[in-house]
Amino acid sequence: MRALQVERSLPRFAAARVASAWRAGAGGKVGPLRLADVDPPDLPGADWVRLRPRLSGICGSDLATVDGRSSQWFRPIVTFPFVPGHEIVADTEEGSRVVVEPVLGCAVRGIDPPCNACASGHGHRCERLTGGHLAPGLQTGFCAEVGGGWSGALVAHPTQLHEVPGGWSDEAAVLIEPTACGVHGALAGPTGDDQVAVVIGAGTLGLTVIAALNRLRPDISRIIAVAKHPVQKEMATSLGATMIAAPAELRRAVRRATGSWILDNGQLTGGASLVIDCVGSTESLSDALAVAAPGATIVMVGMPGHISTDLTPLWQREIRLAGAYAYGPEPMAGGRHSFAVAIDLVAQAGLERLLSATYTLDRHSEAIAHAASAGRRGAVKVAFDLRTEKRR
Amino acid sequence: MSERPLPGAGPPEKRLPVTMERIRSGATPARRVAGRLLKPPPSPFPYTSPTWPDSVPRPPAPRELGVDYDTDWARRYPARVARLLLTELVAKPMVAVLADPHVAGEDRIAHLDGPVVFAANHASHIDTPLLLSVLPEPWRHRTVVAGAADYFFDTKLKAAVLALSINAIPIERRRVSRTSANRAAALLQEGWSLLIFPEGGRSPDGWGQSHQPGAAWLAARTGRAIVPVHVEGTRSILPRHSGRIRPGTTHVTFGRPLQPSSGDNPRDLAAKLEAAVSALADEHDTDWWTARQRAARGTSPGLTGPSGAGTWRRTWALGAPTRRSASTRRWPKP
Amino acid sequence: MPRPGFVLEVDRSTPPILTWHGEGFRLERLPPERSRVIYAPEPVAALDDPDQAIQDALLAPLGDSPPLPDLLRAGMRLTIAFDDISLPLPPMQRPDNRQRVIEAVLEMAASAGVDDVVLICALALHRRMTEAELRHAIGDRVYDSFAPHGLLLQHDAEDPDGLVHLGQTDKGEDVEINKRAAESDLIVYVNINLVAMDGGHKSVATGLASYRSLRHHHNVKTMRHSRSFMDQHNSELHTSNWRMGRLIAASGVKVFQIETTLNNDAFPKPMAFLQKREWEWSGRDRAAYIATTKGLGRTPPKLARSIFQSIKAPHAMTGVFAGEVEAVHAATTDAVYAQQLVSVEGQTDVAVFGLPHICPYNVNSIMNPILVMCMGLGYLFNLYRGKPIVRQGGVAILSHPTPWAFHPVHHPSYIDFFEEVLSETTDPIEIEKTYEERFATDEWYRHLYRTSHAYHGVHPFYMWYWGAHALEHLGDVIIVGGEPAAVRRLGFSPASTLTDALEMASDTVGRHPTISHFHCPPIMLADVS
Repeated sequence: MRALQVERSLPRFAAARVASAWRAGAGGKVGPLRLADVDPPDLPGADWVRLRPRLSGICGSDLATVDGRSSQWFRPIVTFPFVPGHEIVADTEEGSRVVVEPVLGCAVRGIDPPCNACASGHGHRCERLTGGHLAPGLQTGFCAEVGGGWSGALVAHPTQLHEVPGGWSDEAAVLIEPTACGVHGALAGPTGDDQVAVVIGAGTLGLTVIAALNRLRPDISRIIAVAKHPVQKEMATSLGATMIAAPAELRRAVRRATGSWILDNGQLTGGASLVIDCVGSTESLSDALAVAAPGATIVMVGMPGHISTDLTPLWQREIRLAGAYAYGPEPMAGGRHSFAVAIDLVAQAGLERLLSATYTLDRHSEAIAHAASAGRRGAVKVAFDLRTEKRR
Repeated sequence: MSERPLPGAGPPEKRLPVTMERIRSGATPARRVAGRLLKPPPSPFPYTSPTWPDSVPRPPAPRELGVDYDTDWARRYPARVARLLLTELVAKPMVAVLADPHVAGEDRIAHLDGPVVFAANHASHIDTPLLLSVLPEPWRHRTVVAGAADYFFDTKLKAAVLALSINAIPIERRRVSRTSANRAAALLQEGWSLLIFPEGGRSPDGWGQSHQPGAAWLAARTGRAIVPVHVEGTRSILPRHSGRIRPGTTHVTFGRPLQPSSGDNPRDLAAKLEAAVSALADEHDTDWWTARQRAARGTSPGLTGPSGAGTWRRTWALGAPTRRSASTRRWPKP
Repeated sequence: MPRPGFVLEVDRSTPPILTWHGEGFRLERLPPERSRVIYAPEPVAALDDPDQAIQDALLAPLGDSPPLPDLLRAGMRLTIAFDDISLPLPPMQRPDNRQRVIEAVLEMAASAGVDDVVLICALALHRRMTEAELRHAIGDRVYDSFAPHGLLLQHDAEDPDGLVHLGQTDKGEDVEINKRAAESDLIVYVNINLVAMDGGHKSVATGLASYRSLRHHHNVKTMRHSRSFMDQHNSELHTSNWRMGRLIAASGVKVFQIETTLNNDAFPKPMAFLQKREWEWSGRDRAAYIATTKGLGRTPPKLARSIFQSIKAPHAMTGVFAGEVEAVHAATTDAVYAQQLVSVEGQTDVAVFGLPHICPYNVNSIMNPILVMCMGLGYLFNLYRGKPIVRQGGVAILSHPTPWAFHPVHHPSYIDFFEEVLSETTDPIEIEKTYEERFATDEWYRHLYRTSHAYHGVHPFYMWYWGAHALEHLGDVIIVGGEPAAVRRLGFSPASTLTDALEMASDTVGRHPTISHFHCPPIMLADVS
């Protein structure tokens, strides 16, 4: 079968890094990603099942990998050569359609008794990502042994599967996984009264966070979204953002919304009580710190990497910086799992429209380039369409 | 797009990476700089004067020439020095060589003091330099020359050359123009003498023309004396409509000054002046006594020649030999 | 003898016409046979002895007012209010009219033994002036005598303790003005009447008023019914101000009005070509034009801006009138008309306005996009009497670089207005309804207005209302050479050249439209029949 594979090749990673500095997504051509003919992965255990992907999305973390910009943090918790793709809608051999929850925690790895995190139901915080009978890998799509979504076939543990409700299109279903991330981020911050929330970034994550804040957080009365591109602005407004600001306009927009003052060097005297950073760059975190009110929480939903910024306000204003990774039980949604909440949200908010384009595997470099410049090119989510892949 | 050559066309030419065209069109820095410098400006206006919209009436042309030409500069010190040198070192020797001037009647004006109006008959361009070089010393370098505004002041260069070299000022010749007359009068008051040709232009056929009233008017207005001057012989040196100079002999006669009195009518004065110049011509042709007698009887031969006569007779009469015009001397007197 | 204004019918032999373009200008060729250019009258003669004229005016006032010395007595409270930085344009060379007049008034006050004198800059909701600007306007002598003792004030429309509510007019308009002025025995108002809009009751009723009072006439409805606000007899803005002014007088507040007029000699000698007709440009003018435009082409915008802002106009005083407000203003208006009126026959389909570097609200500052709109559609469009020079449904073409740039100190609320309000709507009614109050009461803007040099939070709204009549009247607005993003945010269309703009205009007004080019500055008032 055909699969897009990431190999461990230092020169290729280096080339990708150089190329991507010139243009994001350029790593797709010169980087570690290549289309290969490989054998489908073997079943690691008796209870595992084979999946045939239908659609598989391209995520920001995938782009970072392809462009050689991933953090060294991941080195021990991935196994090469892996097939990326963790936003997967697939068919099982029994013919049912599922989405995959990609985290490879204790249950999947056959570790019994599970670690503390898994035992408490927070599989995404698993402490044994390198243990058990599986090769190291934090998620499906980063582990050589289970395969990934950007291929003709992969294997999954039944605990990873969520049935797609009947009558859904593949296009809607492929957004369940990213929406679950958005839900998890949106529900991570503390509750309050009549809060102003700032969402930095209006890609897939930002938009799903806006949708989640709007529908699941009645305590948030105003959502200020930072969006660069027209399509993003339009989508953010329709998903419930009350105000859209360009990155350079953010501080003034938050000032207006919160009635605070701006001091000489541009910092606010007050600000928003919840800031959700869906970008994860130095600039976005600096902006987040600039517009966060004293005592506010900044949630990092976008994968950050190395960031260099002045944390004095974090200290002086007692701002809390929180990460939000993947999905888990959501206390704010009555303890339901992010995926379950996301399935409802995709349907309610019509998030299917976030899928802008699909590509076949052989057009992968175009797909990567498109995904890397999605906003500029008027797109949000780009996915691989594997429904025509030969299954062998 | 098809890259194939058109049917019938030869195979595409093989191109060198560097072509002659490229070398020619491209790129030496000198060429670029030159190109930039030589490049015509992007649009004519404002690099050229603006066009005048048809719907806007044009104001009278900017009046800087003709009678409005400002000659003040030519009477400032540097110009005067230049003119003095020019008159003494160039004009005077040249006039001596070409015109051999014989001057008479200087004694009649020796007693005069201050600026006067010299009024002379006019036959040739030589008249002015001739007179300027024979004017007695107190006046020679303090005299302005009335030049026809339309003829001598029609271009800036001509006007400047004449203002500098002969101290010309523009005068309207066919009418008394307020500007030019006022200016001449002001100059007379300031101490400048005026050399004027009351005929208003050079003689077309050798005979004199009747006088314009300007000279008399100026004298009457300023109370300055008019000195009648007769010049003879310049026409044969450089007649009108001729570009060729034949050296010859000239005679300049100064007459008795006419002093206008306060009640004088400029018209009468003009008539007196015309008569005085005619008498000077007569004196030159005959002798002083005959001339005086004829003048007293009012029968001096008119300068304007026989009237009513046919063209040939006027010319014939002009050609009658006179007592002194037979001189063939070519060299200046020692 | 200065020539009156002039309307040129453009033909094939017409040279290209100078068109202002912010900190610069262009020569634009207009289509022949269907274009006309409206030229301002030449500057009228200045007063021979302005100081003597001021004395005469103060001693022989107009209307039923006694001479100024008779109004001054020892022990009285005297307040001298004067126009702010927005007048005149460009700022005039020293000495400013205000300095001359205030010095004359103070001489008289001193000889009458008046001790309690306060000077107030009547800036309404404009920014406070800086020390240098005040010194330029009222002169060093006056500044040094009053400022150190705290007797030189700038009106504060947001000072709860500094305002007094005098009542409501019969139309229910609140009249709330500066307390010190209202409680004085006499207000002497010193004005510069640059355009016909200035002066009269507007001086006190607007210059010294609060937001609560101003909103009754600074709103969309009033501005749409002011046709134009340069023609006080057809201006709802003035009718309202006159009602307020009469109420102020009826409440016992005594105003001695001194109005001065200027000629329209707006540019110093080296830039004389800016106020000449193109076909009369001399070689020197052409050389100056070429040198200036070539030089500006190589000058960074910031430097160009400061060069242009440093221009001081050789404006000269042409008249001074003192006494009772309405009698004075009638005389002043006649003097302004004498300088500025140009009779123009009929309207055209398109009007071309070259926008200069300056408008009343960006002296020593940046002409931001909102001010571009206000200058083009507020001021220049409204410089008419009778009918606008462009027909109903016609197109206005403005020429200005329209950079997306704001002065952070002077125009903080403008930035927010541009980023938030205009990205939602450009409809003045909608803007007024949805956003005005929030901006007007924003604590931060209020703080900056009162303590820094910022325009009031609501000021950008007024700028937009100023153009409301034009927005309603016009079919389309095109900005030549404007930064596209900023122009689109204003709701207008960007064009790179005048030719393109005329081409775009043909979608609205058809092929071969008639065109008026309003050759301003210098300032003029088109009397359109």
